[in-house]
Parts: sequence; structure tokens; C-alpha cells
Amino acid sequence: MDLARQAQDGDESAFAEIVRRYSPRVFSVASRFFRQRSLVEEAAQEVFLKAFTQLGSFEGRGSIEGWLTRIATNTCLNMIRGAKRRPELTVSDLTDDEQQWLDHVDGGEQPSVENSVVATDLADRVLSVLSPEDQQALLMIDGEDASIKEVAEATGWSESKVKVRAFRARKKVREAMEKLLNRR
Amino acid sequence: MKDKHIIDVLDNTSIASLSESELSEVQTHAQECASCREAYNAARLSAVVLQSRAQTRIEPSPFFHTRVMAAWREQQAVESVPAMLRLWKSARAIVSSMAVTTAALAVLSFVLPAQTTPLTDQTASMLSAESVIMGQGSDDQMGYEQVLSTIYEDDDDAR
Repeated sequence: MDLARQAQDGDESAFAEIVRRYSPRVFSVASRFFRQRSLVEEAAQEVFLKAFTQLGSFEGRGSIEGWLTRIATNTCLNMIRGAKRRPELTVSDLTDDEQQWLDHVDGGEQPSVENSVVATDLADRVLSVLSPEDQQALLMIDGEDASIKEVAEATGWSESKVKVRAFRARKKVREAMEKLLNRR
Repeated sequence: MKDKHIIDVLDNTSIASLSESELSEVQTHAQECASCREAYNAARLSAVVLQSRAQTRIEPSPFFHTRVMAAWREQQAVESVPAMLRLWKSARAIVSSMAVTTAALAVLSFVLPAQTTPLTDQTASMLSAESVIMGQGSDDQMGYEQVLSTIYEDDDDAR
């Protein structure tokens, strides 16, 4: 809170300390939405500049980290909404590596670390059927094992809204994956 | 366990959060039911790719901090300009009225005194021969008789 107050009073070193201390957290949130470094950095920079202008609204009831997480989530969602809509899921777009990965894992093999890029590409492919908000909810709950309450705090949505989003997203992603598996 | 129930279970919770007994029930049923097996496999693969995606993290570069601080300073500089403009807008009326007053005073001080104005009757009477000679103002002007007597008294004195 002291750090926030000092930064609000125009103390540049306090603001610099906030950036230094919370950059990893803000990058972590932005990484959920973007895979390109340039986009993650753009989002993170916008988050800190926005946070500085909104320091007056930070009343110290929660942690700075929680407050920044919420700003980061909303900033990334706005950036995605402003960007072009991603293409629909198409099986024909599957690369050989992706098809091979699906074959192996579907056959019971454990996914290896070397193939994590392929798995991440596939994740982006199935996540593209969701709205950015639903993606966020599903990635946090199913990807990071976050609780409903944690997602609600990070996004500002109610817990029931998070539950609805997660259910809807999980169902859509499962159906998209089924589609991919059936058309191999 | 019917198909509907398994699919509901799969959509309601992440596979990772299912208890051992729940998972066992789902797997047992999936072996017997083709459509549920497809759903289960898809859910299992989805969970794997989502966890892989969630682990993808980009760390801040060493230059990020410098970049943000530079952008912050730039933002501060941009925000200070409108503040000056707002100050100027509020002070503009006062400053312009002061400028007009100064100009008017300058005109009154330097231009008007140089101009010659025609004498009014009152001014002419104040500058009459008697006033000039006697060094008296118009308020205590002498009557005609007094003037004559004064003149002749002076003449008598001279004699």
C-alpha cells in the first residue's frame, strides 16, 4: 500500500519498484492470452501505464498483485476483442506433427516435453472456438488448477458466472477435440 | 451409469479434479459405451493440451523495465501539456482584460495629452484678461466696476 501511495504521489522509484516486483505476475497473465513475446510485452506495458493512472482507485483492500492481475486480465481481453477474429477450427489445418501427437497420446502414450509446442498449438486450435472470456476461465481452471474463487477474484466476475463459463468452455473444447479425433 | 451422466461429469469438472472413485467409474463406463469413450478420450486430450498451454510462460526481458519507465516518462510529459493548456484557458479572461486595461492606460497617458482641444466658454472665461492679470480664478471674478476701479487705482498710485 505504501508503495502504491508513493507512486501515486509521483515517486518514480516507487513506480519502478512496482514494475520490477510485479512484472513476472503480469507476464504470466498476459501469457495466457498471447504466445508472441511482442504481444505479451505490449500488454504488460499497457497494464503498468494503466495501473499508474488508476492508482487513485486502489484503496488497499486487496493486494497490489491481485489488483494488477485484474487490470492485466481486462487489458488482455480488450486487446483480443479489438483484434481480428481468429479463423474457425479446421481439421485440414492440422500439421503432420499435430496428427502424430494426437495419435500417440490417444493411444495411451504420455506426452513428452519435446512435443509441448505441438500440444500448445493444438490447445490454441481448440481454444479458438471459445470467446476470450471462456478461454480465460478454462485455462485457469483446467490448465492451472485454479479454483472458481481464484478466477472470480482475478477477473471480477461472479463465481456463478465463472462456473457457467467454465462448463460451457469445457463442453465446446471437448466437442472440438472429438471433431479433430474423428476426422484424423 | 448412463452416457448422459458421464458427459455431464466430464463437462462439469476438469478430469484432474475428479476423485479416484469418480475417475474409475467414468473409465469403467467408457469401456462399455462407445460414445462415452469418445467423449472421455476427447476430454482427456483436451486436459493435456490445456495444461501444456497453461505452462507456456513468457518471462519479462531485461529491457522491459527500461521500456516501461521510458513510456511512463513520455506519458507524464504528454499529460503535463494539457494541464498547462487548462491553466491558460482559465487564466485567459483575466490576462486579456489586464492587457486591454494596460493598453487603455497607455493611450490615456501618451496619446491624449498631445492632442489640442477647443476651449469651452467656461475655460475661456477662466483664461480671461482679468483672471490672468489678477491671478484669480473664475470663482472670485470681480465685477466690471471693481475692475475699473482697480485699474484706475493702479494708475493713481503710479502718478
